Amino acid sequence: MDVRFKIGADGTSIDDSGLKYDINDFDAWAVEAALQLKEKAGQGEVVVLSLGPDSVAETIRKALSMGADKGVHLKTDKIPFDGFAIASALAAELKDGGYDLIFFGKMSPDSSNGIVGPIVAEMLGLPCVTAISKLDIADGKGTAKRELEGAQEIVEFPLPAVLTVDEGLNTARYPSLKGIMAAKKKPLEVKPAALGDKKVAVKKLELPPERAAGRIIGEGAAAVPDLIKALQTEAKVL
Amino acid sequence: MANIFAFAEARNGELRKVALEAVTAARKLADSTGGEVLALLVGAPGISAKAEQLAQHGADVVFVCEHEGFTQYNPEATAALAAEKIKGGGYRAAVFTTSAQGRDLAPRVAAKLGVSLVTDVIGVELAGDVLTVKHPMNIGKVIATVDIAATPAIIAIRPNTFTPAQNAKAGRVESVQPVGDPSASRVVVKELIQGGGGKLDLADAPVVIAGGRGLKAAENFKLVEDLADAFGNAAVGATRAVTDDGWRPHSDQIGQTGRLVSPDLYIAVGISGAVQHLAGMRTSRTIVAINKDKDAPIFKVADYGIVGDVFEVVPALTAAVREARRGH
Amino acid sequence: MRQLRIIPEEFQPALPTERLIVRDPLDAEAVPMDVVFVGGGPAGLAGAIELAKLVKHDNESGGTLGEIQIAVLEKAPGLGEHSLSGAIVNPIAFRELFPEMKDSDFPFRAPVTKERVYFMMGDRAQRIPTPPTMQNHGYYIASIAEIVRWLGEKAEAAGINVFTGFPVASIAMEGSKIIGVRTAPTGLARDGSPGSNYSPPTDISARVTVLSEGTRGALTQAYLESEKIGSENPQIYALGVKEIWETKQPLDSIIHTLGWPLPNDAFGGSFMYPLTPNLVALGIVVGLDYRQTTLDVHELLQRLKTAPLIRQYLDNGEMVEWGAKTIPEGGYYALPKRRFGDGVIIVGDAAGYVEVASLKGIHYAMQSGIFAARTIFEALKKNDTSEQALSAYGSLVDASYIADDLRKRRNMRLAFQHGGLYGGGIKATLMTLTGGKFPGGKIDSHADASVAREPADAPRFVPDGKLTFSKLDANFKSGNATRDDIPSHLIVGQDIPPEVATLYQHMCPAGVYERDGDRLVVSPANCVDCKATDVIGPRWTPREGESGPRYRLM
Repeated sequence: MDVRFKIGADGTSIDDSGLKYDINDFDAWAVEAALQLKEKAGQGEVVVLSLGPDSVAETIRKALSMGADKGVHLKTDKIPFDGFAIASALAAELKDGGYDLIFFGKMSPDSSNGIVGPIVAEMLGLPCVTAISKLDIADGKGTAKRELEGAQEIVEFPLPAVLTVDEGLNTARYPSLKGIMAAKKKPLEVKPAALGDKKVAVKKLELPPERAAGRIIGEGAAAVPDLIKALQTEAKVL
Repeated sequence: MANIFAFAEARNGELRKVALEAVTAARKLADSTGGEVLALLVGAPGISAKAEQLAQHGADVVFVCEHEGFTQYNPEATAALAAEKIKGGGYRAAVFTTSAQGRDLAPRVAAKLGVSLVTDVIGVELAGDVLTVKHPMNIGKVIATVDIAATPAIIAIRPNTFTPAQNAKAGRVESVQPVGDPSASRVVVKELIQGGGGKLDLADAPVVIAGGRGLKAAENFKLVEDLADAFGNAAVGATRAVTDDGWRPHSDQIGQTGRLVSPDLYIAVGISGAVQHLAGMRTSRTIVAINKDKDAPIFKVADYGIVGDVFEVVPALTAAVREARRGH
Repeated sequence: MRQLRIIPEEFQPALPTERLIVRDPLDAEAVPMDVVFVGGGPAGLAGAIELAKLVKHDNESGGTLGEIQIAVLEKAPGLGEHSLSGAIVNPIAFRELFPEMKDSDFPFRAPVTKERVYFMMGDRAQRIPTPPTMQNHGYYIASIAEIVRWLGEKAEAAGINVFTGFPVASIAMEGSKIIGVRTAPTGLARDGSPGSNYSPPTDISARVTVLSEGTRGALTQAYLESEKIGSENPQIYALGVKEIWETKQPLDSIIHTLGWPLPNDAFGGSFMYPLTPNLVALGIVVGLDYRQTTLDVHELLQRLKTAPLIRQYLDNGEMVEWGAKTIPEGGYYALPKRRFGDGVIIVGDAAGYVEVASLKGIHYAMQSGIFAARTIFEALKKNDTSEQALSAYGSLVDASYIADDLRKRRNMRLAFQHGGLYGGGIKATLMTLTGGKFPGGKIDSHADASVAREPADAPRFVPDGKLTFSKLDANFKSGNATRDDIPSHLIVGQDIPPEVATLYQHMCPAGVYERDGDRLVVSPANCVDCKATDVIGPRWTPREGESGPRYRLM
């Protein structure tokens, strides 16, 4: 649904009444990547970690329905915009987990900032590769592909590592009916989130300005020269 | 009197356009504080020759680190060096760009400095102590004004937003050593593969030309391809009607259930403008529509429109674009 | 020159019962459930909630039933997203289901205070006295999508397994017994072969399956056909197209209209209800036995909006949602003679419990779900889910206000088939005044598909994109984001002539069918599951989950 957002009364967050939250695509691809690795290895455990208010529990359950083994919910009333604060809470939880790989989505569409994964990696002192679109793991080492502008990088890294996932890595599976039922019995731990200090703050939210009205330049091929001029001098795209 | 740091991105021994954008943005900030712009440029030996371009766009000082270990992007060594240079310099702000590399680099640097950052910045203002940036949230549906209290304020600007401006400064080159040994980095870029066969991806192309049912038949898509060719940096897209009919693959479909694109220039050829299609391209910077029906809804969204027969207008436009781009 | 007449059933393929009913044994890994509700609308959810409550009380008072696994399978990605109604709700069934709650606890927007009925002559509105059947005092204005989500929360809290995004593609039968259901596969490529994201069907076994599919349920039709269960009259349908607008002009009354822009020989009318604080719901409902191939219900709604009576509430406002759905209108004589069987009960709109004259169906749906639950509870206790054991459901419905209301108004809609607006209107009025006694007996009716239609000039409709919208733009506002390469779920007849393509193009409110030159072009991803196509056009079959509209406020 093409959602038209409304700004909340406080002017610094969106009014989410009537809106439904769901797992975002990047996170779904991240969960899928973890599940595929576990299936390929024939053993291992996939833990899903998320930070936020009550509604986040449903997102964790969805990941459990896809096949994750355990969920951890770091509870906080409101998710701060500041990814550093979020990363502090996540890193504190992940520190002693002994994970071989920690997957993040490239970014959350809500904040559209894309910084939590690499900051967590720095806090944990782990190698990090961002925005991967292809992944191979073998013998404690990994090879990933990253999409650049008009090019691609092939990157090698040791495990343990932090990876952030971009489009193209995989297609996330739909939870099966059995998966949904099994998820209800899987452990979901809830703890308070130890958010770090917020160092950036949203002062104001506004809707993007409406596009200015356009104009018909003219008719037929005769209008082409005027169009070229407009593109060159007004729009400056040519 | 606060200094501003700028990171200059290079690839294959050349500066990328975003490097000039970063310096330009840093210059704008420095001018408002009466400070200097100090840029960091890393690369394989020989990269120092590019420092001059940074000076042309406003860098007072260019730190250059030449080392084999920077032949490819070296995330850990670059982040370590940038953090070190920023830490010592008392900067008010550090400017990166939200390129693929910038998205990888800037958060690492911020974390090393113990501060947060804001990416995809489309506007920036420094008023006294407060650095305020504009950042689109919720995939561009909401614009946030964000205050950054920390010093330095780390920001990554959106590409194609701060037009590189000539503003020649001294650009005094200072050679700097890497932090530690770049070849000891755990994360190693083994290979850089240039983009596949010259075909630009819809997501990256600065110009997108899309064709719809008005083209009448699959073979007429050649008109669209020729126009894309004339631009040289354009990708070709299609509407759902046309991909449903099999004229183009589904991966070319632009729309709510297809690809979402946001190029600088979007040209809709023979497209009526159903809302599903508009949902896929309405954030394009400039929209041009060519359609023979003057009541077509696309004209309500287009910045510039030509009412006419696409078989007449498009070839004329192709020729004119080729002419205009000659000598670029 | 002989006028061309098109009889839709001549171009309609048969119901694909071989797909809708599977007779091989269920998969060995079938998910075992005790009771499955096919369809998560008011009927299915009310039934599940009542059943869970009865089981819980029984267990708590020392009963031996133990844990009863109840599942509700809903094809929409989220509860309520495929539900659409006016709606003015009689709270009686809510009170029955939740006797401990007050009316103010229920998910209604506001009580009906004022109501006005108009007869439209051209775009001018003439106020007329409210017919007795349309009096709504004591009822509430509501959004059925909100009702369904509210019921869903209650269902989840009661431990019921609610599975959204799981359409049931077939019922599984052993002889005449329904033993379970099979869900639709997902991730099929255009040609029907498994794609990269393929997920196979899941079998679910059940001791009782409740068919709560809603209007024109495919599985219900298949069951009735295979068991040769008929009804006195064929079921007939109307198509409703509805929009929700954010309004700057407050509306303090519910409004119904008759007449323009419907032609005199079409049955139906329009409604406009305030959804306080700042929304209005408006829609038009037209019987699918209309006589012109070019009658286009979506376009009729667009035209209606230009009338000053309606327009005053929409100018400077914004359309926020659009949707469409059919309504069964056959009433009493169109109810299947038997609505239960071995391992099955049929409830709600799927059974035909809709009273057209008062435009009501939600409370009948919920009440029938409650009756099904009570019947199933007793059957589970006796461990007997045979037709005989489940026949108590039929008796409960027959002795209730459901049968009573439907019987009283049994000929109202049918009168229109034979008398048009004026003749039918007179008969309808007589019927009301005499409490259903006159005209007595039963008026025969024809299935919609057997009614002949003729081409007629249709005024050219040019949407302005602000007050009036094209079908494609409207479809976008239904939240429909079905993937474009989905295989077609529609079974189209062979060699469709151009005039029939025209009929389909105008019949479908969502723009699935288009006449391009002389050929029919089908865009199945546009389908919003209203089922009009199944009534007079290509047959509708269940498709993969996550498809179709995503109504929030309908």
